[in-house]
Order: sequence, then structure tokens, then C-alpha cells
Amino acid sequence: MKLSRQLKTDLTGYVFILPNIIGFLLFTLVPMVFSLIISFTDWNYTQGFGNIQWNGGVNFVEMWGDKWFTDSLINTIVFAVTVVPLTAVLALVLAVVIDRFCFARLPIRLAMFMPYISNVVAVAIVWVMMYSPWGPFTRMVQMVGVETPPQWLGDYTWALPAIIIMTIWSGLGYSVMIYTSSISSLPRDVYEAADIDGAGEVTKFFKLTVPFLSPTTFFLVITTFITSFQVFAPIQIMTRGGPGTSTHVLVYYIYTAAFNFYRMGYAASMSWILFVILFTITLVQWRGQKKWVSY
Amino acid sequence: MLKKQFLSFLVTVILIGSIFSGCGTGSDTPNSPAAENQESSSTEAETPIASSMEPIILRMWGGVPPESGPQATIDLFNETFADRGIQAEYERFVNDDTGNLKLETSLMAGNDVDLYMSYGISQLQQRASGNMALDLTDLIARDGFDMFGTFSSMAEAYYIDGRPYSLPTKLDQYGIVLNKTMFDAAGIPIPSSWTVDEFREVAKQLTHGEGQDKVYGMFWNSQQEIGYVFGYISVQTLGGSPFYKAGGLEANINDPVNIRAVSLVNDMMNVDGSSPTHTDSVTQKLSQEAMFLTGKSAMTIGPWMVRSIKDKEQFPHDFETAFAPYPTAGDKNFTQGGYGDHLCLNPKSQNIDAAWELAKWYAQEGMLPVVAGGRVPSANTYNPDDVVSAFLSGAEDHIDAESAKNILIIPATNYAVPAYSNKLPEIDKKVNEELEAIFTGQKTVEEALNAANDFANQQLAG
Repeated sequence: MKLSRQLKTDLTGYVFILPNIIGFLLFTLVPMVFSLIISFTDWNYTQGFGNIQWNGGVNFVEMWGDKWFTDSLINTIVFAVTVVPLTAVLALVLAVVIDRFCFARLPIRLAMFMPYISNVVAVAIVWVMMYSPWGPFTRMVQMVGVETPPQWLGDYTWALPAIIIMTIWSGLGYSVMIYTSSISSLPRDVYEAADIDGAGEVTKFFKLTVPFLSPTTFFLVITTFITSFQVFAPIQIMTRGGPGTSTHVLVYYIYTAAFNFYRMGYAASMSWILFVILFTITLVQWRGQKKWVSY
Repeated sequence: MLKKQFLSFLVTVILIGSIFSGCGTGSDTPNSPAAENQESSSTEAETPIASSMEPIILRMWGGVPPESGPQATIDLFNETFADRGIQAEYERFVNDDTGNLKLETSLMAGNDVDLYMSYGISQLQQRASGNMALDLTDLIARDGFDMFGTFSSMAEAYYIDGRPYSLPTKLDQYGIVLNKTMFDAAGIPIPSSWTVDEFREVAKQLTHGEGQDKVYGMFWNSQQEIGYVFGYISVQTLGGSPFYKAGGLEANINDPVNIRAVSLVNDMMNVDGSSPTHTDSVTQKLSQEAMFLTGKSAMTIGPWMVRSIKDKEQFPHDFETAFAPYPTAGDKNFTQGGYGDHLCLNPKSQNIDAAWELAKWYAQEGMLPVVAGGRVPSANTYNPDDVVSAFLSGAEDHIDAESAKNILIIPATNYAVPAYSNKLPEIDKKVNEELEAIFTGQKTVEEALNAANDFANQQLAG
């Protein structure tokens, strides 16, 4: 049998991507479709597939009256809305400072990158000690003159900020790394022109560096938004959502609903809400980039 | 060259495919009824369990570290059953959410586990209804095994929907653990019964010192489990399900007894200062070992760290430990206690008969090595004196034998056995949050327990 050359090329192509496609189908697409289906059901997964009970969209209505869900949603939004801009701004400033005014750039960048590649669990456990009443964090606050330092992870108001601080710290190195590599490819001639025109460092930073780096910022904002909506490990290790619901975040509640309450359908419907939120945010950012991103 | 690459690619695909098909066959079995499985394996094992062939190797999963008894028990089993062609291996899973999830995943996926421990009735229920635990009715009938004679009629309380899914191997009978040396020094006799008010007074008397040197009267260990007070104090008046009214359809969380019990903890933490606060427990990750065994608290909530009390090398201390019953927040209608360590068989096991032999042997004969680690057997096949001496072994000089025997070992007759578990995970979570709010001063006891009660009623109605 003789295949046409076009078909043969196509087939070869498909064969090459086949391993990936199989993985994608089995581990991504099928579970996704399945989770969409069970999000309309009531399913205790320990009782097998025969136990799936269709309940229409009840899950999607019920969750808005579920205080654990609404609190988790609010906490997640607070978390993301603080972590994302703070990380971006800090990383940008640090990257420029390291690039312009620093000796031994490489070791410093490496040091900053360490937390990002360290195991989250180990990092979280170290931070639990940092936040303990005898830990350096509490001591520092006392040295500044605060008489009764916050109880950090045991405190309704401070538990979430404590985790936000840790998350920013551990993600900063990555963003700095991306920024510094972009900075090193910025066109030198424009800066020289600015120098000739007598622009100061601050002016150059705001008028040149920030706009030049806007595509990088755009990329970082989208990715950190998505990862901060998915925060789970530090919560599970450091606070288990407590005290009260003060650090209860969406993914943690999805986990609880699925594996403590055995309500797989409800958990699936919440993860679809999470998906819709992330999708919308990304879409808005994508549309909005015309306004502030310059390539 | 290209051909070679294509070949290796093909091999990869086939390999990956075979992995998936492996999963596939595994997940085919779960829906096949347990009885079928059991029948097929019982016919092939009818002849006193395959001695000429390779020995059957059973895998038993438990939450206790192997070195604290289980390994010695399994070694003993392997010795006893060597000529009958059954051997066993012990694997530990950590008895927390993650560890239990791992166990359940293994149970659902296939036959890596032959028998395993369930800790607590809600786990047992989950596993029984999810076809992760074998209904033992047929095996019990076949061997004429006397459940109620071997254990007691309380075994029936651990049946799920009227059927036995486990052997309740351990007697969960606890009490307040106390530093007898401190009690003696303060001239306080060890009580044989006391109310929460008397208890609070004693704790106050035993509290002294400031800052790092402070000695507390009591340590509630609330960072490990904030709601101990219900399971150990309320139950003595309200019975085994203190969150539910009789019938299990209505919540009873704001019952005066519960309010009194929670107030006790709250007052001791936040008014008397006779116990570390909940926040201190959480942020400093206090443990019973770090508080009681270092002499920083005169009492603590339960004897789960008997292992550590006996281990003077790792936890050096020079006082004598004794036990007292839990204080009561009302009439004493029940004794705190029940059965624990529910030994279950995996319905998907290939060796159900052998596993059943191990289960029976473990419950009736094999437990002495784990007694040394603090686990008291529930079967009446043991000589109580053997149990007491195993319990105290190596610590005769610093554990009070008399109170250990009376409080922890001699069984009572009127245990508070849990009766309801409808929506319990949700209710537990809410109650824990409300307790946190109480202990950190955000809400009064009444406000918080009323809120938890309303929540529970909604859940039960929904």
C-alpha cells in the first residue's frame, strides 16, 4: 500500500506526539471531563461508581450558602491580591538593584533562588519555627518595641499575613531571576540616549525599565496569580485553615470536602468555580494587556 | 537509525500501556461482591493452609510504630504459624488524615493489604460501606467464633448496619494521667471520683511559679485535639455521642453538660492559668512529653504516651505516675471507654482465610507485646495479671500499679459507646472552630456552642 507523501508526514508527526497525547488524555482531559460530570452529582467515592447520584446543579447553589466556601474564597482573593503585586514590585526593584548596584550578583541571585527550589514542606516547617513565640520573627517585632507581639500562626488577624509573607519570600527568587534575565537583554543604546538627555536613575527606571519589562511583568502576574489561587501546602502544614477560618483557602477546602467529608461531587463543583475564576482573571488580563504592555 | 528509534519508541508505548492496563484490572475488581471473593479463596485454602507450597505472606497495616510492639507480635506469629505455612509482615501507616488516605487508596486499588487497623467508628463505618472491610459474618459462623463471649456484648456497638466488619481488639479505657509525686507533696490524695469543680480546684492548687519555671496543674494537649473534653468528660453523663440528642437527628452540642465541660477547660486556660492556653499549645507545639514528663504540668489528659512514660532514657524523669478517672460534669451515667484498634480484613485480599487466622490469633493471644506499649487487649482470653505486668514491664518503679490496673485495665460494664455519626466530620470541624473561638477569647462558651449547635442542626436537617 502506498501512502501519499502528505499523509505519511502527518502520520509521522502524530506518532511523535502520541506519547504526550496519551498522557494528556489519560491524566488531564479524561479527569477534567469526569470532574465536570461529577460536579453535578453527589458522590461518596469510597462507595464505588455505583454510588454516583445526579443532583443537578445543587452543588453550585449550595456553596454560596456554605460559610467555609465563602470564607475560603475571600481568603484566597485576599491572598492572591496581596501576593501578586507585592511579589512583582519587590522582584522588579530587587532585580534592578542587583543588576545596577551590586557586587557578586550571581551568588546573590542564587541565594534568592534557593527558597524557590527548596521543598515547600521543609520551608513551611522552618517558618513555623520562625513564627513561634521564641522564634526570630517574634523577637524582631519585640526589638522594634512592640510589647505584645502577635501570635502569628495562632492569631486570627495575623495568620494569613504570616503565610503571605512566607509565600512572597519563597517565590521572590523566581521572579527576580526572570526579571534579571530580561534586564540583561534591554537595549543599551536607549539608556545611553537617556543619559545624554540627562535623565536620572529614577526617571530611567519609570520611563524606560518598567515599560520595557512590561511583557515580563505580564507573564509573571498571570503565572503568580494562578499559583497563588492554588496555594495549599503551606496552609496544610502550618495552620490547617485555622485559627477559625482565617487561613481557610479554596484548594484547602476542596481537599477537605473531598477527603474528610467524602463529598467528591461537591469538591469537584468547587474546583470548577476555581477554574472559572482563574479563567476569567486570565482573560481579563489578556484583554487588558493592550493598555499597558508594550512589546 | 530511524528504525531503531521507532522501535524504542514502540517499546515505550507498550510499556506505558501495560502500566495502565495494570491499573485497569485492579479497578475492575472493586465492584465484585465480597462474598464471592471469600468463597473462591476459602475453597482453595480448605486444606489446613498450604504447607507444602510457598508460605502465604500476609501484609498487615497498623498505625503503631513497629518497634513499640507490633513487630514483636508479628515475629511471635511467624514463629507460631511457621509450620502452617502462614507468615506475616507489618507495615506502619501514620494514623492521620494523610496516612488514612494512603491506606484507603491502597485498599481501593487492590490487594496490597490483607488486614489493617481502623481507629474509631467513623473510619470503620466509612470502610465497611465502601467495601474496604470484609463482612465477617460468614467466617464467624463457619468457625463458631464467639464474638460476645470473647469480647463482650459491647462488641455489637461496633457492628455496622448490624454486621461485624472488624474484631475490636483493644480496650480504650483511659483516665487523667497524674504526677503522683507532686500530689503527695501537696498532700492531695489520688481521687477515685471527682467533679469538674473539684478537678479545677486541684489543678489550681498544683499550679505555681512564673514564666519559664511555671508548673501547671493540667495540660489539655489541645493542639493535638481541641475537643478531648467531649470524648472524655461529657460522655460520662451524656453517653458516647455527646453531640447528638437521642435518635441522632438533632444536635445536642449546647447541652448544659457540654457547656460545663468546655467552661472547665476555658476557665483553667484563661481564668485560673492552671493550664497552658490553647494559643501557647499551638504556637509552641507543646506535647504531653514536653509538658508532663518534664514536670511542667502535674496532670494531663490521657495515657497515650505510656510508651514515653516508660522510656526513661529518652524522657528522663524521677517522679511516679498514677492515674485517676476523668472528672464528671454531671451524673456519672457511663464510664469513658469503648473498643479501639478495629482489626479489619481487606475484601480484595487473596488470602482471606489466612488473614482471618491472624486476626483471631492477634485478638486472643498475640497482643502481649503491644500491651507493653500501652494497648490493653479487649478479649477475655488474657490473664489480667499478665496484662498488668506486661503493661508495667520496665517501669514497675515509676508507674503506680494499683491505679494503672483499676483505671486502665480492669474493664467496666457501662461504657459510653458512640451511637451516631451522621455528618460527624462536618460537625467536628465546626465544633473545633468554635472551641478555638472560645479559647482565644473571641466568643463566650454559650455563644460558640449555640452557633455550633445551629450549624449541626442545619447539617442534620439537610
